[in-house]
Amino acid sequence: MQFTLKQLALAATLAVSFSAQAQKANVIHWWTSGGESAAVKELADAYTKAGGTWVDEAVAGADNARAAAINRIAGGNPPTAAQFNTSKQYHDVIAEGQLNDIDAVASKEGWDKWMPKPIVDAIKVKGHYYAVPVNIHNPAWFWYSKDALKKAGVASEPKTMDEFFAALDKLKAAGLVPLALGGQSWQEWITFYSVLLYVGGPDAYLKFFKDHDAASVNSEGMRKTLTALKKLHNYVDAGSPGRNWNDATAMVISGKAGFQIMGDWAKGEFGAAKQTAGKEYGCFAGFGPKAPYMVAGDVFVFPKTTNKAAIEAQHKLATVFTSPTAQVAFNNKKGSIPVRTDVDSSKMDICAQAGVQAMKDTSRQIANPDALMTPDMVGAVQDVITKFWNGNQSVDDAVKALQGAVKG
Amino acid sequence: MASSQPARKKRAAAAQLALLPMAITVLGVYIGTVLWSVRISFSSSKIFPKNDFVGFSQYERLFATERWTVSLHNIAIFGVLFILACMVLGFFLAVFLDQHVRGENVLRTIFLYPYAMSFVATGLVWQWMLNPGLGIQAAVRNLGFPEFQFDWIVNQDKVIYTLVVAAVWQASGLVMAVLLAGLRGIDESLWNAARIDGVPRWRYYLSVVLPQLGPAFGTSFVLLAVGVVKVYDVVVAMTLGGPGNASEVPAKFIMDNLFTRANVGLASAASTVMLLTVLALLVPWWYARSVQSRKLGHS
Amino acid sequence: MSAVVERITPPVAAPVQRKAARRKSHFTPARLGLYALLVSSAAFFLLPLYVMLVTSLKPMEEIRLGQLFALPLNATFEPWVQAWSLACTGLECRGIQVGFWNSVWIVVPSTIASIFFGALNGYALSFWRVRGAGWLFGVLMFGAFVPYQVMIYPLVRTLATVNLFGTLGGIVLIHTVFGMPVMTLLFRNYYAGVPIELFKAARIDGGGFWRIFFQLMLPMSLPIIAVAVIMQVTNIWNDFLLGLVFAGRDNLPMTVQLNNVINTTTGERLYNVNMAATMLTSALPLAVYLISGRWFLRGITAGAVKG
Repeated sequence: MQFTLKQLALAATLAVSFSAQAQKANVIHWWTSGGESAAVKELADAYTKAGGTWVDEAVAGADNARAAAINRIAGGNPPTAAQFNTSKQYHDVIAEGQLNDIDAVASKEGWDKWMPKPIVDAIKVKGHYYAVPVNIHNPAWFWYSKDALKKAGVASEPKTMDEFFAALDKLKAAGLVPLALGGQSWQEWITFYSVLLYVGGPDAYLKFFKDHDAASVNSEGMRKTLTALKKLHNYVDAGSPGRNWNDATAMVISGKAGFQIMGDWAKGEFGAAKQTAGKEYGCFAGFGPKAPYMVAGDVFVFPKTTNKAAIEAQHKLATVFTSPTAQVAFNNKKGSIPVRTDVDSSKMDICAQAGVQAMKDTSRQIANPDALMTPDMVGAVQDVITKFWNGNQSVDDAVKALQGAVKG
Repeated sequence: MASSQPARKKRAAAAQLALLPMAITVLGVYIGTVLWSVRISFSSSKIFPKNDFVGFSQYERLFATERWTVSLHNIAIFGVLFILACMVLGFFLAVFLDQHVRGENVLRTIFLYPYAMSFVATGLVWQWMLNPGLGIQAAVRNLGFPEFQFDWIVNQDKVIYTLVVAAVWQASGLVMAVLLAGLRGIDESLWNAARIDGVPRWRYYLSVVLPQLGPAFGTSFVLLAVGVVKVYDVVVAMTLGGPGNASEVPAKFIMDNLFTRANVGLASAASTVMLLTVLALLVPWWYARSVQSRKLGHS
Repeated sequence: MSAVVERITPPVAAPVQRKAARRKSHFTPARLGLYALLVSSAAFFLLPLYVMLVTSLKPMEEIRLGQLFALPLNATFEPWVQAWSLACTGLECRGIQVGFWNSVWIVVPSTIASIFFGALNGYALSFWRVRGAGWLFGVLMFGAFVPYQVMIYPLVRTLATVNLFGTLGGIVLIHTVFGMPVMTLLFRNYYAGVPIELFKAARIDGGGFWRIFFQLMLPMSLPIIAVAVIMQVTNIWNDFLLGLVFAGRDNLPMTVQLNNVINTTTGERLYNVNMAATMLTSALPLAVYLISGRWFLRGITAGAVKG
């Protein structure tokens, strides 16, 4: 049977158009700033190269994006993939049976073998994989302005909490703002669990967040944390309440403030101000070489569908997102670190490289609070913390309030 | 007279037909969704609505939550101050603009433009302006008044007043527009007659204009009241409910629980409480209106 | 019927005469005081706009210095260009212009529909006796207070069942429904101030329900229509959440791009671009405010009672 050139060309066109349509992926995410856009472009390009069609549905603001995704699922018009955090935020959606699992991709790529445990715990529910992680963010980094520290006479990076407080004192004496903080509930929350992790220690941290152990709240670890938190409040300037996190970073960038406790996405602001890690600003994630490294980040879930083409697209997305080339390209632009440790980290900045090193030691990996607590309980604890931070509550009363919050 | 009876009935049928969309909207959309959300407030809904029944536990949890009780307290203070300030400012602006001033078009647009702008950006500007280190306090101190203090926005007791200031800035233009439309409907010849009688302008406004503006004031009041119950954008843009929970408001509480905290049951309970409060305030007004309209022969 | 219409045609000649008479005594102390009050009020209202303008013309390095009220040292229009056509809103970096026509396609029919129904309802409620209408209106007023976020889920399910979820018709319907309480209130209260003699005269002249509405009431309502247009254009043009949920990917309004430019969870924030984008987005409602000026005329109903 011979086909004319025309018939072959027609068949080829049909085949191409079918396959392009067959792997059309509507992706909801909240990466809309300049740096984030460049990063998500890497993922989209990788997906297109693998033969898919990326239809972008960006919605700024994580809450807005998640609300849009949930409502689309409810309205019967779900996206192919939707962004969430490495957390429990989508576990209710799983319980309602509204997500497709991607066990096929997970077993083919061998996720069980190399994916960090804190991530697996967040994406694997009842033995099935429901989400694909794309990066690892650590919300508990310390950032400092080298200029400000020099001016205050702080010789080197603090290696313990006491040294940190000493540095804060020196900054205060030099007339600078010791700790740049945006007085918003979620930033106070980051400060709280960072101090809990680094001062109270991983055990107290896990007892509180993972086990929801009300009795443990009255332990020495937690009390030390709350006392340190109260002390930390003295090093924050009067204009702190309500401030956006970028404005706090701007204070560090301009040398008006010494330190900020914020996630590694802060590098985006430093980069936009044309500053380089290690030159104008420094970074460290906790005190000492064995400091716990918090694992947070972004994942994509796949709303339930029986459409064969959509399922193909979902599997292709999951495969592409975790491929070594896409991981390196995406994370270099995003400022986070890849979920795979078997990739080339030489092009990353020194803070990211330090993060990759830390991740190689599995004993240092620890899950972020959102992956250990439901959003509801996280909110309850946040309310307690913001009240404690902004008021004159005693440590005893705060302990009681925290116990009430984790009892749920 | 007898021959017009069937004619009146026919006309009433046209009126009934015209009001049909309103009836459908009221019954289908508003009553339907309110009943649905009241039903959901008795369930344990998390991220998706669930059909189970947990009695009053969501309400118990609601009133044990300090953030909620603070928000109720805040909305009461905010509501009174906001409505009062907007009505007064809006009225005076409307009266001033009614005086055949030059550049009325430009001035009216100046007073109205805050209403046109998204509060996400304008709220941030207010936050910056009221921040002690960045805004008005810093500027005045730089001008040579080192003791000047204006740090309400970082003060837990005073932050609610900053919200009132920004909200009045945004909304009084609309009140002015509504009252101006009402003023423009008042016959100018009444002023001429009053002037001839030697009545001063301000007295004329007090005894002749104000009573005629009754419906316009009523409209403004309802618009402002709806704005109070729904106030959300200004809080999120200026303070995010802070410092602590000091500037929390019910609409933000509901939003946070509906989406961020995946707590649809609790959010529905909060919303039901808000609606019951509104109902409690509306019922006496309805009763008064129905008595009054029966007297006037209107429907 | 036409006799009544003639009676209320606005006496255009009169205002000009009055202005000429006033010019003699223009600078009395009371007059100066009036202008002083207006100017100081204008200053209060303009202060945030000044900060927005100035911020939108500064490069980010200057903004980081935190000198809020200072004029720009290196003024630049780059943020405005960025906001309109270059800012990143996701994968695309084409600014907020992308959604402009979508917003127009949503705003125009929604405004017309909601004002039409509001006027119709207000007219029917004010002048006609329909059984139960008072109660219906009362419940509609109550409906204005319902937080619309709580209504989203059931409306999503309802629209999905009639295949209107994610369509232009769906979002227009949603805006019409949500605008109905306030629009009805606006017109009902306005018509409550219209003398009932006018209506009775029109009925005697032989006017029916629809004829009186279109030929007498609507032309007389220009000032309140101006207010209604201002409100609806502003609310619908600036609406974000309803457009995001109900409009569908192909009809996303400009506010979604605006949100993508301004809002960000952990990305860097370019305040100058944000301010420029906000001012650009508000240009259309502002234009509507300026144009609606001609409708705030005096004398529409003046002379009607006398005649």
